Formats: sequence, structure tokens, C-alpha cells
Amino acid sequence: MASPVIVPFGDDAVLVDLREPPGLRSARRARMLAGALQALRTGMPGLGEPIAAAANVLLPFDALLLDPERVTALVEPLLLVLPADPGPTPGAREHRIEVAYGGEAGPDLVTVAAETGLAPDEVVALHASVEYEVLFLGFAPGFAYLGELPDALRVARLATPRVRVPAGSVAIAGGATAAYPQASPGGWRLLGATSTRLFDPGAVEPALLRPGDLVRFVPV
Amino acid sequence: MSRPEPTRGLLDVLEVLEVLDPGVLATVQDGGRPGLGALGVARGGAADPASLAVANLLVGNDAGSAGVEVTFTATFRAIRTVTLGLAGADLGAVIPDTGEAVAPGASVTLAAGATLQLRGPAGPRPGEPGAPRGCRAYLAVPGGVAVPEVLGSRATDLRGGFGGRPLQRGDRLAGPGTRLVRPPARWTGPTPRPRGVIQVLPGPHAGDIGDDAIAALASAAWTVGAASDRTGLRLEGPAVPGLAAGELASLGVLPGTIQVPPDLRPIVLLADCQPTGGYPVIAVVATVDRPALGQLAPGDRVTFRVVTQREARAAAAREREAFADAVAHLREAASWDDLWHGAGG
Repeated sequence: MASPVIVPFGDDAVLVDLREPPGLRSARRARMLAGALQALRTGMPGLGEPIAAAANVLLPFDALLLDPERVTALVEPLLLVLPADPGPTPGAREHRIEVAYGGEAGPDLVTVAAETGLAPDEVVALHASVEYEVLFLGFAPGFAYLGELPDALRVARLATPRVRVPAGSVAIAGGATAAYPQASPGGWRLLGATSTRLFDPGAVEPALLRPGDLVRFVPV
Repeated sequence: MSRPEPTRGLLDVLEVLEVLDPGVLATVQDGGRPGLGALGVARGGAADPASLAVANLLVGNDAGSAGVEVTFTATFRAIRTVTLGLAGADLGAVIPDTGEAVAPGASVTLAAGATLQLRGPAGPRPGEPGAPRGCRAYLAVPGGVAVPEVLGSRATDLRGGFGGRPLQRGDRLAGPGTRLVRPPARWTGPTPRPRGVIQVLPGPHAGDIGDDAIAALASAAWTVGAASDRTGLRLEGPAVPGLAAGELASLGVLPGTIQVPPDLRPIVLLADCQPTGGYPVIAVVATVDRPALGQLAPGDRVTFRVVTQREARAAAAREREAFADAVAHLREAASWDDLWHGAGG
């Protein structure tokens, strides 16, 4: 495994690239690092909110109070003590999300089955057989990247993204699966749909799924 | 300086402006929702936050108060006599009743019933190639536009579908209803102008892509594409080197990030960009030039100049100092005015 690097991201952020294959472990490490950086913010004026993603953390800062060298010096000691695998997140919640697979709501189920050499009901069974972890949120409000997807279900995203993916669509792409909280353009392969509300901007906790939470899809 | 709380109660809120014509897109925007990336929520807010700040400061508001972001054209009618702060691009604002032209960077008091028309930038029509003329102006009302706060902000999140919707004809915007008329004010500080040359720093993947990548970005003349919006500017020009698809783990991105998607035409992310992206980041726009990105419109010509960390930081420091001086100047003028009124003048 290559060692992490810290590179400038413009004049007011650095990117901490863990330089490991994106997956469950890399996301957990990124999340733990972001948590440690978040805890440093109170004593370090100018340090912004860290954004943890697949295998990296973006750390913005006020360019007039800090510079990439000082921020790098802040991050380096944390990388030295970052565990190889932090394990499950304490306090993670468990969610069961009901999914109607196939049909109009899952227009890609048949092509995914053809590409993976599985029958459509085998695709469904496999997709619903795993307890996924929320790796990170991104792309859209409440959009949780869930991993890891079973290797047998790894397919490429659509060459040409759909202009409109309906809200609630449950989809896969690469090593991840997700449910679309809102209607949006999207290139993931749609297996089905859920009626669970995934994002409510007026709620105390707007996003149903938080980083580290565990998710199981239940066919209905 | 204390500020009335815009949503304290219905009785304290008064309708001040009616939208007669919203143009292609007019939205309520403020400083946005920084720090909610972990929820997948975009930072959002004004596409040109420096101009929103100027509009607000002209009427005594905090820099990040909610105002109206106008794109190219719009017309408003004053429901009651009100002072507005106007800043950003010169969209040919006039008060048709009096024929008075209103330049950006000044406050203007509209009499009840009067209209303010933003007729659009002078020069070639939008979409025709040329030097950037700016496309967004900001209107501030004293105390800020009173719309409900969602996730700590009054900004309209078009992609997320919350915090309001694009303004429509007949919408009536409210303000807090106290001190709606303010003394005339003029901005003397740096004006965030539309810029045809944008300063950038090499991005975290510039090295992975190859040494020729940043040179390709900096040596080409780009045209802002028609599909550009508040999420990002799609640049038309030569292909720049990128990375093979699927090589990259998703990473956090910010307004000003320049990505290279599989079609190898760069995208400059703007205010409404999602908090994470999956494309290699070839360059990042220097903080000092980010407000100017919000003024670029389809058809505008733009080039990129690579600067060092030191240059970017020095430019940001100069800009912020000049901005602070101008804010102090405005506040001083306002306090003299308060004294004058207090003395019965």
C-alpha cells in the first residue's frame, strides 16, 4: 500500500489522498481522519469543515490565516496514528430499506443480469444479501454511497447518463450501490425503487443515512 | 451593528418588492450552506458572493444576508418605498419612471409603485462570443429578504430542490419592515468585475495526468458552453489530457475546482456544485478570482493563467484588505448619517 500524500488544492485547501483502492476500508480511514481534523477545528481558527470521500479528505482553510505548509504539518501526525482499518463506526444505526426490484422502477435489472451472467432474481438476491455500510455522502443531498457491492455485481455506469432518474431509484455502479433521494440526472444502473424518504431538509436530521450507518435492502 | 431578525414574526415582515419579470432565472441567495458536505448538501449561495456582499453592505446588511440574484434581466416593482443595494454585473438597471440609470455599486431608493428594470448587459447578445460582460446582478433589501431558513440558510438550492424555487412573476418579496429607507451609499472598494483571464493553481491530479495537462489548459482560448449554469461552466475548446475512466476515487470538490470529465472538456465548478466529484482535478481557481466565475456566461471567452501559491495568497490578501477598507468607509459614512438624523437633521 502506498503511503498517503497531502497535496495543495488551490490556495485555500489541501487534499489528503490515502492512495489506496476505494472501498470500505479506505472510506473508514478517510472518515476517521476527517473526524480527527474536525476535532482540531476549535483550536485552529481558519480551518474549514473536512470533506471525507472514497479514499481521501478535502480540507479547506482560510487562505489568509493558514497555508498549505501549516495545514500539512497539522495533518501529518494524524496520518501516522491512523489505524489500518478503524472498523465499524461506533453508534452506527441499522436501516432496512424496502425495494421493489425490476419492472418500470428497475429498467436496468435485465441488462445487469445479462452482463453479469446471472438471472434477474439472482441479481436481486445478491444485491439484498449484503449488509452495506454508508461509505460517504455526496453527489446530491442525502445521496449515500454504500459499499461494498459483491464483486459479481460490478458493472460500469451508463455510457450516456439518464437525463432524469426518479427519486427513490435504487442503483449500482462500480463497487457501490445507492438510492437516489431526489430526481436527478444519473448514470448508475437502476435495479428498483424504494418509497423510503432519504432526505428531508426540514428535519432535525435531514439525511436518513449517515456515514458509517448499516443498510440492508429488503425485496418487496 | 445589530440587524433586525427577518423572521421574528409575521407582523415584523413587510412586503417590499414584487417580481414583474424574473428573466431567465432569479433566485434568493445568501452565503449558502458551507460545512454540510457530509450530508451531500452543496455549499450553494450566490454565484458571485463578493457582489452579493457589496449589495448587502450598501443597505447596512451583513455581507451574507439574503438578496436576489438576477441573471441577465429582471423587473421589480416597489410595493412600498424602499432602498435597494445593487451590485454585480452592469445589467443596464434603470428606473423607467424617471429615466434614472442605476450603476452597480450603489444604493437606490425606489418610491412606492416605481419599477426597477434590469435590461441586460450592453454589447453583443448572450451566447455570442466576446469578452465577458457579466451576467449576474444582486439586489439587497434592508434587513435581507425574509424567506424561511432551511438548513441554516435562505439560499435556493435548485439541484437539491429546497430553500425555495426560482422567482416567478407576481412573487412578493418581504423584508423585516424596519428602516426600509437608507441613506445613499456608494461602494468605493474593489468591484468584482467580469474577467476574461482567470488565475489558477495546478490541481491535485495535474501531476498524475501529466506535465502537459496544465499547459494545455493555460495555452488554449476557451468559450463558455451553452450548458453552463450555477453548477458549473462547461468549457468548449481543445481536448485536454485526462485520466482513463474509473481510475479515480470520488473526492471532495469546491466551487472553483476544474475537473476533466471523460470527454476531456474541462468543467469549472460553481456555487451549486455537489460536495464530491469523480473526475480528475486539473486545476483550482485562485480564491481571488472565484467571484468572477459567477459572472461568466455562455459565449464568453476565457483563458487561464497559472500562478504560484505565493502569488495567489498575495492577491487574496490585497483584495481582502481593499474590501475591508471600503467596508470601513461605508460604515463611517453611515454613522455620520445616523448622527445627522439623531441631531434632527
